[in-house]
Amino acid sequence: MAVIVTGSGGYLVQDEQALVRRTQDGDKDAFAELYEAYFDRVYRYVVVRIGNRAEAEDMTQQVFVKAYKSIPSFKWKGAPFSAWLFRIAHNLVVDFHRKESRRPTVPLEESLVASEDDLQKTVERQLDVERVMQAARRLTAAQREVISLRFAGGLAIAEVARAMGRSEGAVKALQHSAIASLRRILLGGENGVER
Amino acid sequence: MSNAREFNDILDECLEQLLAGDATVEQCLERYPAYAAELEPLLQTILTAREALAIDPGEELRARARYRLRAEMDRVTVRRWWSVLNWQPRWAVAVVAVLAVLLASGSTVLAADSSMPGSPLYPVKLATENVRLALTSSDVARAELCAALANRRIAEMAYAIERGKARQVERAAERLNAHLAMMSRLSLGEGPAQPTAEEAAPSEEKTAGEVPAEKESPEKPSAAAEGPSAVAQEAPGRAAEAPAESAAGQAARERLTALLGEYAVSHPAKLRALAEDAPESARPAIERAIEASVAGYERALDELGSRSAGPQSENSRSEGKGRR
Repeated sequence: MAVIVTGSGGYLVQDEQALVRRTQDGDKDAFAELYEAYFDRVYRYVVVRIGNRAEAEDMTQQVFVKAYKSIPSFKWKGAPFSAWLFRIAHNLVVDFHRKESRRPTVPLEESLVASEDDLQKTVERQLDVERVMQAARRLTAAQREVISLRFAGGLAIAEVARAMGRSEGAVKALQHSAIASLRRILLGGENGVER
Repeated sequence: MSNAREFNDILDECLEQLLAGDATVEQCLERYPAYAAELEPLLQTILTAREALAIDPGEELRARARYRLRAEMDRVTVRRWWSVLNWQPRWAVAVVAVLAVLLASGSTVLAADSSMPGSPLYPVKLATENVRLALTSSDVARAELCAALANRRIAEMAYAIERGKARQVERAAERLNAHLAMMSRLSLGEGPAQPTAEEAAPSEEKTAGEVPAEKESPEKPSAAAEGPSAVAQEAPGRAAEAPAESAAGQAARERLTALLGEYAVSHPAKLRALAEDAPESARPAIERAIEASVAGYERALDELGSRSAGPQSENSRSEGKGRR
C-alpha cells in the first residue's frame, strides 16, 4: 500500500512503502525522510503521554533508533508504518511510566512551555496546555492513548486501531467517550472521568 | 447500525474534516442537524485540545535530534555489518575481504607493477603476476607471458646489481630460471594445466634452497601431447581441427625459441656490464647469479631445441653459448 503522508513543516513524503523498502536495503537517507515526516508527531505524542519535554526528546530519539534497528524485520501486512512506529513509542512510554512510578516527576508546566518567547502567549498557552494535560491525565489509559495518538500524533482512526490492536469501531467508541470525558473534566467536573 | 455506532462514525468523519481543515464546526453541524446538539460541544473540545497539543519541538531540538539520529544510525549500521559477518561462514568472510581489498587496491596493483625488489609493493607485483599466469588459459599464451616475466626479472637483476644487492640479484635469478623452465615446458605442451604461483615465481620470503625443483612432466601425457590421433579417439568431431592447432603450436614454439635465443645473448651481456661497477664484496654473488641465469637459458633452449630444432633456434643457442 502506497501511503502519502505530510510531515513537519509541510514536508511531503511520497510512497512511504518505498522509503521503508529502501531503508531495509540499507539506505539511511530514506530513513531520514521517514524521520522528518514523523518526528514532530511522535514527539508530541510522547510529550502528551509523559508530560516532560526533556524526557520526551530522549524518548523520541529512542523511538527512531529502535525503529531503525527493527526495520529489517518490518513487513507490510496491512499495518501501516505509522502504526508500527507509534506502537514502538507506546511501548517505550509504558516502560517509562513503569520506571517513573518509582521516582518523582518534573512538573509539567516547567518543562513543557519553556521555549515560548512571548510572555503573554506563554502564560495563556501554559494555561491551555496545563488544563488539557491535567484533564488528559484523568482519562483512562485507553482514552488517553486514543487522544494522544489521534490529536497529538495525528494518526487516522485506522492507524490508531492498528497501533492499539483494536477494531476501528472500538476505537471510534473510545474516541467518543474520551472527548466527552475530556470536556467534562475541562469544565471542572471531577465526575466526568469515566473509568 | 445502532444510533451510537452511527454517531461515532459521524463524529469521526467530522473530526477528520476539522483536523484536515476541510470543514468548520458549523459546516459539520449543518451537514448533520439531527446530531448537532451532541456534536457541537465535542468538536469544540477537540479544537481546544488540539491547539493545546500542537506542541512545536522547535528547530533547535529538531536539528539536535537529527544529528543524534544520524550518529546512532551509523553505529547501528556498523554493528549490523559486523553481525552479518559474524554469522557468515568463514570462507564467505574471506571472499568479502578479498573483494574489498581488490576493489580498494586497483591503484595499488598498478603502482606495484613498476616496483622493484626491496619495495613494499614488490610482493604485490609478484602476486599479480601469479594471478595473471593462473588466469591465462592457453599454454602458448602462458609461455609468452613467462617470456615477458623473464624480461622483468632481468630488469630487476639489473636494478639490484646497480645497487650492489647480491641477495636480490640471486632471488631475481631464481625467479628468472623458474620462468624459463616453465616457458620451455609450456612451449612443448608439457606444462601443467594450471601452474602454481610458486612455480612461476618464488615468493619474496623464500630462500634459494627453498625454490621448488622443476616438476617432471606429467606421468600421463595429455591428449595434446599424444598427438592428433589420441585427440581423435576421444573427440571424433575435433579430428580435423587437431593438425591446425598443432601447426599453430609449432609456430608459437619457434617464435618463443627465437625470442629466448635473443634473450640468452642480450641479457647476460647487459648484466655482466652492470656487474663490473658493482661493489667488490657483492660481485662474486652477482656473478654466480648471472651464471645461474645463463644456465637457465641454456636448459630452456636445449629442451626446445631437442623438440623443434629449427635453424633459427640452433643459431641463437650457439650464439648465446659463444658470448659467455
